[in-house]
Amino acid sequence: MTASGSSTSDRAVGDRVTAGRVTPERAVAVSAIRLMQGVVYQESDAWDDLVRHQGAVRDHFAVVGLEVVVDDDEGYAYLRTADTPEGENALPRVIRRRTLTYADSLLLVLLRKRLAEFESAGDPGQLVLTHDEIVEMIRLFLHRSTDEAREQHQIDASINRLVGMGFLRQLKDRKGEWEVRRILKAYVDAETLSDFSAKLAEYADAGSADESTADEGVGHAGAADESTADRPSEDI
Amino acid sequence: MEYAQIEALRERHPAWRMLRATHAPLLLTVLGRFFVEEGRGASSEGELVAAPDDQLYAINTQDPANPRFVRTAAEYLADWAGPEAGFLRRFYPLGADEIHYDATPALEKAYAWVQGLAEQSFVGTESRLQTAVDLLRQIAQGTESDPAKRLDQLERRKHDIEREIDQLRQDPQAGLLDRTAVRERYQQFATTARELLADFRQVEENFRALDRSARERIATRQGSKGELLAELVHGRSMIDSSDQGRSFQAFYDLLLSTSGQEELSMLLDRMTGIEEVGADRRLRTVHHSWAEAAERTQHTVRSISEQLRRFTDDQVWLENRRVLDLVRQIETTALHLRDGELPDFGLELEETSIDVALPTDRPLFTVRPASEVNSDLEPVEAEEVDTSVLANQVVVDPARLATRIRALIPVHGTARLEDIISLYPLQHGAAEIVGYLALDEDDLEVTTHEHEETVIEYHEAGRHMRATMPRVEVTRR
Repeated sequence: MTASGSSTSDRAVGDRVTAGRVTPERAVAVSAIRLMQGVVYQESDAWDDLVRHQGAVRDHFAVVGLEVVVDDDEGYAYLRTADTPEGENALPRVIRRRTLTYADSLLLVLLRKRLAEFESAGDPGQLVLTHDEIVEMIRLFLHRSTDEAREQHQIDASINRLVGMGFLRQLKDRKGEWEVRRILKAYVDAETLSDFSAKLAEYADAGSADESTADEGVGHAGAADESTADRPSEDI
Repeated sequence: MEYAQIEALRERHPAWRMLRATHAPLLLTVLGRFFVEEGRGASSEGELVAAPDDQLYAINTQDPANPRFVRTAAEYLADWAGPEAGFLRRFYPLGADEIHYDATPALEKAYAWVQGLAEQSFVGTESRLQTAVDLLRQIAQGTESDPAKRLDQLERRKHDIEREIDQLRQDPQAGLLDRTAVRERYQQFATTARELLADFRQVEENFRALDRSARERIATRQGSKGELLAELVHGRSMIDSSDQGRSFQAFYDLLLSTSGQEELSMLLDRMTGIEEVGADRRLRTVHHSWAEAAERTQHTVRSISEQLRRFTDDQVWLENRRVLDLVRQIETTALHLRDGELPDFGLELEETSIDVALPTDRPLFTVRPASEVNSDLEPVEAEEVDTSVLANQVVVDPARLATRIRALIPVHGTARLEDIISLYPLQHGAAEIVGYLALDEDDLEVTTHEHEETVIEYHEAGRHMRATMPRVEVTRR
């Protein structure tokens, strides 16, 4: 058998999957698509192909100003907007940025904390929280309200939005239990938190200054929280 | 042991608490069988629940009027794994959506102790003394640094072996073990083999404890960067270089070496072949169980080392610390803000996926034609169909039978069945007779005279047949 013989047979195979083997072109395509659909985790079947064909996948996304982040240690890969080289105009955004509501942000921050604690404890596997645990966690930081039903409803809405963003995942066949996905660590990092913390502190200072001048500003409890439910901040 | 120490163990040690638990017998039968006897590792809740389910059912059916265990298997399991009990480990493995349970070393201990209560027929002492002496010899030889003395020892062993060879030449029976000695050795082997299997859980647990202590030390460390790094390096090597780590690694290498595997296989085969031993069949493959358990432990060690490495990676670690500090700040501010107007801003993040939704991706509305029902089937191309199957069926057409009768009997007339049959010989045998009897026409009446008997002769499938039956008359109304 000659080398040319094997290459023609490869070509004949084309884009099809043969006997469990996938052609490189297809592996790159599938990897790229899976990345566009969301975070690719080490446990998923797309991981091996993605890692093997990282170079090609990176080249593919570099064209539209996206960077492929593959974190071997954490076992996840995702797309993010690449930094614009100095002196160049930024490309239009491919990935939308989203401003979360205050309640959603708070929940995300608390989940980030749980994840950090979970890791320090050295527990194996994944962090799973029940609905009650999540509610208990966030409730302390929300308005003390007598309308518990409404509060529940808002927390559920927050949970659903985080599920939609890929930070929580409802377990199959187990209602009311969520996995806190590891990718949270990549998105809610120290830098993001520090910005948020600074903004919050500023807001609190302004609030207390207001309070001293006019007492009216306080008291409209609950009016602001749901009105700004996740609006995309920038368009494609 | 001191009184206080024992008292503390009684209160706190999970094995002891397990023995004191209200449902200890149930717990030990169910979990002991599942994890210890059947040698399973971490298992999903679904697999595990089936075991107590069967057991509960069996126990409860002994006295159905007042069942002893009223709760469900899953509830008992959750209880046993709960933080107050701690008899089982309960966790979600990566990539699995079902809770998994694994036995704790305490379960192995408690189960082994209860098993040990069943008395043994005899307790071998000679073989154990031999083992003890052997171990002493290994220590002595392994620590002797003077080559002359070691040579001396080897010479002595050589001499012993030569003497044995001579003895065997003179007496072919020399050196054979007698029945008792064989059984004694078997007993010791079986005990050690089982203990070894049980010990893997303890080994795993020890590794976890090492990991936890490393993390604690790192997390509470408040020193300079240099000290911190030294601590981290120490933490990283702690697992592999601990006594536990080295012993386990040596065991693992020995067990998995090809020669070790082959020899073990052969020896175990040989042992099960000796009749007087009455070897437990499960021991025949005990080396596979060891390998499985060791593999599980190895897996745990690997993932622990991996996690610990990641955890001690100073960048990750510093980031984690910073994150926790920041979260604490945010929490404080959030508590402060709770009673005022909540901020209208939040985190700004990129989405984790790209929503590709092209306008053309959504098809325009298309009018669907109203559905029509067309029962006129197009003529099909001629097709070969084996119609003989249809022809071969025995079908008695009651309408035809009725027509015959109408042709034969005038209105209000009556005829006997055998007369009708003699005019129209039966074509389908008994089925046709039954057909006549079952006629259900408005103008015909079939009456059966139970007391009179008649004989009808006919041919069916080429054979001459005779039916003896009550006389039947058919009347036309």
